[in-house]
Amino acid sequence: MDDIEFEPVPSPAQGVGPIYRPEGEKPTATVSKSLSYENVHVLPQTPQLIALLTMIRDKRTGRADFIFYSNRIIRLLVEEGLNHLPVVEHSVTTPVGRAYLGVKFEGKICGVSIMRAGEAMEQGLRDCCRSVRIGKILIQRDEETCKPKLFYDKLPADIANRWVLLLDPMFATGGSATLAVEVLKARGVPEDHILFLNLIASPSGVADFAERFPKLRVVTAFIDQGLDEKKYIIPGLGDFGDRYYTL
Amino acid sequence: MESIPPVYSSATERQNKTYTPPWADLSIIGIAGSSGSGKTSVAMEIIKSLNLPWVVILVMDSFYKSLSSEDHARAHRNEYDFDCPDALDFDALVQTLKNLKQGKKADIPVYSFAEHQRQPQTTTLYSPRVLILEGILALHPQIVDLLDVKIFVEADMDVCLGRRIVRDVRERGRDIDGVIKQWFGFVKPSYKKHVEPQRAISDLIIPRGIENKTAIDLVVKHIQMKLDEKSQKHSADLQHLGLIALEHELSQNVHLMTQTPQFIGMNTILQNPATEQVDFVFYFDRLACMLVEKALDSASYISTAVNTPQGTGYNGLNPAGTTSAVSILRGGSCLETALKRTIPDCITGRVLIQTHEGTEEPELQYLKLPPQIETHETVMLLDPQMASGGAALMAVRVLMDHGVKEQRIVFVTCAAGKNGLKRLTAVYPKVKVIVGRIEEEREPRWMEKRYFGC
Repeated sequence: MDDIEFEPVPSPAQGVGPIYRPEGEKPTATVSKSLSYENVHVLPQTPQLIALLTMIRDKRTGRADFIFYSNRIIRLLVEEGLNHLPVVEHSVTTPVGRAYLGVKFEGKICGVSIMRAGEAMEQGLRDCCRSVRIGKILIQRDEETCKPKLFYDKLPADIANRWVLLLDPMFATGGSATLAVEVLKARGVPEDHILFLNLIASPSGVADFAERFPKLRVVTAFIDQGLDEKKYIIPGLGDFGDRYYTL
Repeated sequence: MESIPPVYSSATERQNKTYTPPWADLSIIGIAGSSGSGKTSVAMEIIKSLNLPWVVILVMDSFYKSLSSEDHARAHRNEYDFDCPDALDFDALVQTLKNLKQGKKADIPVYSFAEHQRQPQTTTLYSPRVLILEGILALHPQIVDLLDVKIFVEADMDVCLGRRIVRDVRERGRDIDGVIKQWFGFVKPSYKKHVEPQRAISDLIIPRGIENKTAIDLVVKHIQMKLDEKSQKHSADLQHLGLIALEHELSQNVHLMTQTPQFIGMNTILQNPATEQVDFVFYFDRLACMLVEKALDSASYISTAVNTPQGTGYNGLNPAGTTSAVSILRGGSCLETALKRTIPDCITGRVLIQTHEGTEEPELQYLKLPPQIETHETVMLLDPQMASGGAALMAVRVLMDHGVKEQRIVFVTCAAGKNGLKRLTAVYPKVKVIVGRIEEEREPRWMEKRYFGC
């Protein structure tokens, strides 16, 4: 995989919608690129997901709407991410006296957000998992070496025994995420117990990441066209942290 | 065993898959009689004894024509004949009655006696099963064919005049001279000419009006019997539709949620009677959120290009038109938390449909729909559970009676019986259904009890 895949023009839009709808009746839009890595899961490109993404990509969208629509996508991501956790069979007798062959969630989880943008995903995680523990990792670019550097971390003491939902909305080159995974592994978290939840990823970044950590699973809403010369995702949505917290 | 019965008709093959709500089988009872004879009191007494939301009075006075300025002046001098058939807009009345007979909603004009004018606003009349039409000319030849029962209320003319004076002076601010002038100039002659002849074609004459308890009781009993018949027919219709639907495959428009581990896990928690109410509410809202998000996939979208802060364009989608929701109470309101999480300002209508405990017949008790609902691109119908599908059928019909196109309706439910789903989609194949869990057998409603804790 080349480290830079730059397309100045977005890929052609295609029809989006349920299969039962004839092609001609589907509105067209650009959908996620697909990558053939088994450990990369892209959310189904439904018209309504595209509409949510359109909302947060649009530079005219104000902060309140940006927060609201991001949270909706994040909840979808969390719901999909949680599906990768193990369950055990669990039968119950329903209030109407019928047997329901269900499942029970197994294993403890925790969230780890990569500051600051990753913290914006905590609300969505809490919406689905009420009392989840959330650790934090601060990674900044070192001014001298230009490489990402760990500045701070605060993680649950028993993190090695937990499934970790690693949160970072924008995945460009993946420098921070890669370092964060290294930190988690150093704390004893098995690679296959890490789920990386992400809103928008660059194709090259996510491909490198998936190859480097083959047992880790990536759940993302959209794989974008590429990176610009400043290593920003395009079309992207700008700086997620700024748009969520300050702009 | 391949044999054809001795009498075979292809007509039995053609199955009637339409749903007829009880209000499409409207009975109209006309109550006529002289001014002051006690028609209104009799009608009110009947309504009061029945005390059902679908037995209503329609007052013929609402259909008075607006007066021209000359007529208006004459009316003020008590020189205008309000008792002659020409004063009434029979065309509008006939149209209204016909619409109601077909189960459609009707806009009833509002007439101001002070201004002798029709007001710009109207009141909506929808879904009565029995309509009592009350007016001096309620059995007039122009409408008599639309009436199922024709009643004539009679009272001594002196008594009528006495009541008229009291009412017009007390309630309508007239003076006694004017009332008497109107009475002898128009009311009494008109009675002889137009009102009294209706007596001969009536089915029932009630002398002494409101004092005649026996007669009123008879009418009430008759209406009760008619209502029971309608209920039985409605229930039988629903049952019949259920039988027809059995032979159908589940429609393509029924979308079962993907049974992911999380989804099944949440369903397990929800169905476990040991789950605390606070947890039930949490997981219910979470699951309902996924249903609503899925339902929005069925909404319409249009292509749109936006610019990102990165200075690049993106070919995206925007929702087309308005998406609104109608919850089927009381259960539907359980889904509103999830709805508000997804569309905080979603326009929401409400319809209360109660299933009668004895007959299992769904009954439309209350209805409040958003204005211009017929223009909304998508209307979600919310109900946490669909048992037999009777309430669902009725709710869809209500929306369609209010101009919502079938294909724009998305029914959202957590759990449904297979046959209920088949029944709904056999009758309304274009309605889309988002369902969390499909059960082979129907199950009684229980989710709202758990959600609300009672």
